[in-house]
Amino acid sequence: MVAYLPIGYAIALSFVKKTAFSPVTTFSGLRNYRLIVEEPELWGALWRSLVFTAGAVVLQLALGLVAALLLNRAFRGRTFVRSIFVLPYLLPTIVVALVFQWLLNQEYGVVNQLLLESRLLTRPLNFLGGLDTAMWSVIATSGWQYGSFATLLILARLQAIPPKLYEAAKVSGAGPLRCFWDVTLPNLRTTLVLVALLRGIWMFNKFDTIWLMTRGGPLKATETLPIYAYRLAFEEFDFGMAAAACTVMFVILVAGAVVYFRLFDPSREVEVGR
Amino acid sequence: MSLNRRDFVKLTAGVTGAAVAPQILARRASAADKNRVVFVSEESNPKAIAVYEKINADFEKETGIKVTMEYPGFANIAKRVATLIAAGTPPEIVWYGAGQAMNLALEDQLVDVGDLVKALGVADNQRMIYKGADRSIPTSQQFVYGWYRKDLFAEKKLEAPKSWEDYLRVAKALTDAPRIYGCIVPSAETGASTLLLETMFMKNDVHWFEWDAGKKQYEVSLDKGGNRKRAIETLDYLHELHKFSPEASNYNWGELMSTYVAEKAATSWYVGARLLEQVNANNARIADATVPFELPRKLTDHYYLSIQGFHILEKSNVEGAKKYVRFFMQHPSLIAWYHAVPLHIIPASREMLRSSKYQDHPVIQKRMDVLKFLDSVWGKGVPLYYWDGKELNPHIGLFHNENLAGWTLAARNIKGMKAEAVVDEAANQVRKKMRRAS
Repeated sequence: MVAYLPIGYAIALSFVKKTAFSPVTTFSGLRNYRLIVEEPELWGALWRSLVFTAGAVVLQLALGLVAALLLNRAFRGRTFVRSIFVLPYLLPTIVVALVFQWLLNQEYGVVNQLLLESRLLTRPLNFLGGLDTAMWSVIATSGWQYGSFATLLILARLQAIPPKLYEAAKVSGAGPLRCFWDVTLPNLRTTLVLVALLRGIWMFNKFDTIWLMTRGGPLKATETLPIYAYRLAFEEFDFGMAAAACTVMFVILVAGAVVYFRLFDPSREVEVGR
Repeated sequence: MSLNRRDFVKLTAGVTGAAVAPQILARRASAADKNRVVFVSEESNPKAIAVYEKINADFEKETGIKVTMEYPGFANIAKRVATLIAAGTPPEIVWYGAGQAMNLALEDQLVDVGDLVKALGVADNQRMIYKGADRSIPTSQQFVYGWYRKDLFAEKKLEAPKSWEDYLRVAKALTDAPRIYGCIVPSAETGASTLLLETMFMKNDVHWFEWDAGKKQYEVSLDKGGNRKRAIETLDYLHELHKFSPEASNYNWGELMSTYVAEKAATSWYVGARLLEQVNANNARIADATVPFELPRKLTDHYYLSIQGFHILEKSNVEGAKKYVRFFMQHPSLIAWYHAVPLHIIPASREMLRSSKYQDHPVIQKRMDVLKFLDSVWGKGVPLYYWDGKELNPHIGLFHNENLAGWTLAARNIKGMKAEAVVDEAANQVRKKMRRAS
């Protein structure tokens, strides 16, 4: 009931005309879906959701992989450094958003200050307010915050790779790059796919980071589907259309999950991963 | 996807429960408690809350009616009211802007408060009338006006701008980017951009709508005739002014104050005197040099007027709510409520503004120049819902609440679209939203 009730209610709401300030609910059939599909905003938001999801997931995987490879080496204070790497994931999003807003601020931000002092810029950049920079700024923030989630999982898997595989590769004359390509990556495949799926779903639904940093702006440059749905519900007060937008998001995610299960049979992947 | 029988039963029960539960709740809650008043207030300043507590305790002692307060804050009050209505438990009273409350009136959720409006002697230009009845009891108001650094102006032998040309000239003279800027033109999809554009539209007599006497309804007029010409002129003017402002593509209320307080701007503007309060609190060194000025006129002296007040909801304890509002407005502590943020929330009544008991406050005494300024611009402000005609314009939410006006400014200043294209696109957006709403 706990799982189905909100989903069922949201889907039911998408078939009615319901505004915020009236208790009256009128059945409207597919009207909300027809209106929403005709809105260019929906397609723009969908595209930006895909860009944000792809960018954030790729960055998280890249940062996570590099960090995990470094942390898998033996060095003094390794346990301490590993615990430091988990910290961003433990921070509340509001803290991360406020810190990055400050770092990236045009007038008094540290990033602009450093870039100006090192003469890489001649005048400060409005990272969060720029049409070309806002999306990359929120992607970078999400990459920093959630890269450590990927680090954790990848590191756990790295530690489970039998050392004899590396020894055999070295005996065969493989260098570090060859070892990484032929031993590490194949063994990480399952984990990387799993992380990509989970982070992909979470990033596609991500609302808080973007809302807190840019509120979907400037000029909708960072308005993803969750923010579009929020605007419909709480700025236009049209709950029916907002529910239709959420249902569209839900269908896209279900379709993505189905494709995933078809392409990467989880039970087979677990077997391979062992 | 296949469902087994168990899952299907769960799913069906869930959907049915979701559909039925609100109806049941609504029926249970339909009978309002005569001994209770739920009051949702936008003002959550600790000093104001202390006054509410005092008045509420006195009210309960006198009438036996308990007042339950909620303080969801400016950003969440509309959502909270919507939730309470959806749950079938509307609050008795909501205190916030009449422009926001208009959404409730349009859904027939506000009762006629004409008796209170008459008894309290509300001025005609502060009333909000829908379907022939008063829907708002004004308590206070806020004007949109500018603030400037008198010391910096004096250094350059400049005076407060009186015309658009003046404003551009002083903004240019005071700009030494990126150290300091001459003005702030927020150009984002935010409330601040929206209000600046709407005020400057008023200054140049631009209307989004016009009253069609034949059809007895408002029609979009932004992209028609003289309106279009003046709208384009206003956008191009703000585009010029923006050259002497920080880039401001993500500026909202906070940035209007913080940029000025941090001495990165020689002028700013705000709705009310909260900017001065922030200067006093965070950079007292420039407090005495911070003085108000009227945003310059082009064709008119009008500005965006925000009126706050009490709004009483249908299907609630209406009699209890009316008793409370009357009690509140006549309580001796009312003056302390106005003093919660001195000079920011100004009384709805000019007599009150000019009264010695209102002026008897150290901040007001120290800044009588601000009070005199407020008195001098009194009556020039117009609430947006009456800007386009004598009838209440029910469509303002289409461009005001959704920040379409903010988009308009951002599209010109940040995206660099031609003013002509921006105006036409904005008008078409409003028409599209009207079709959708109907």
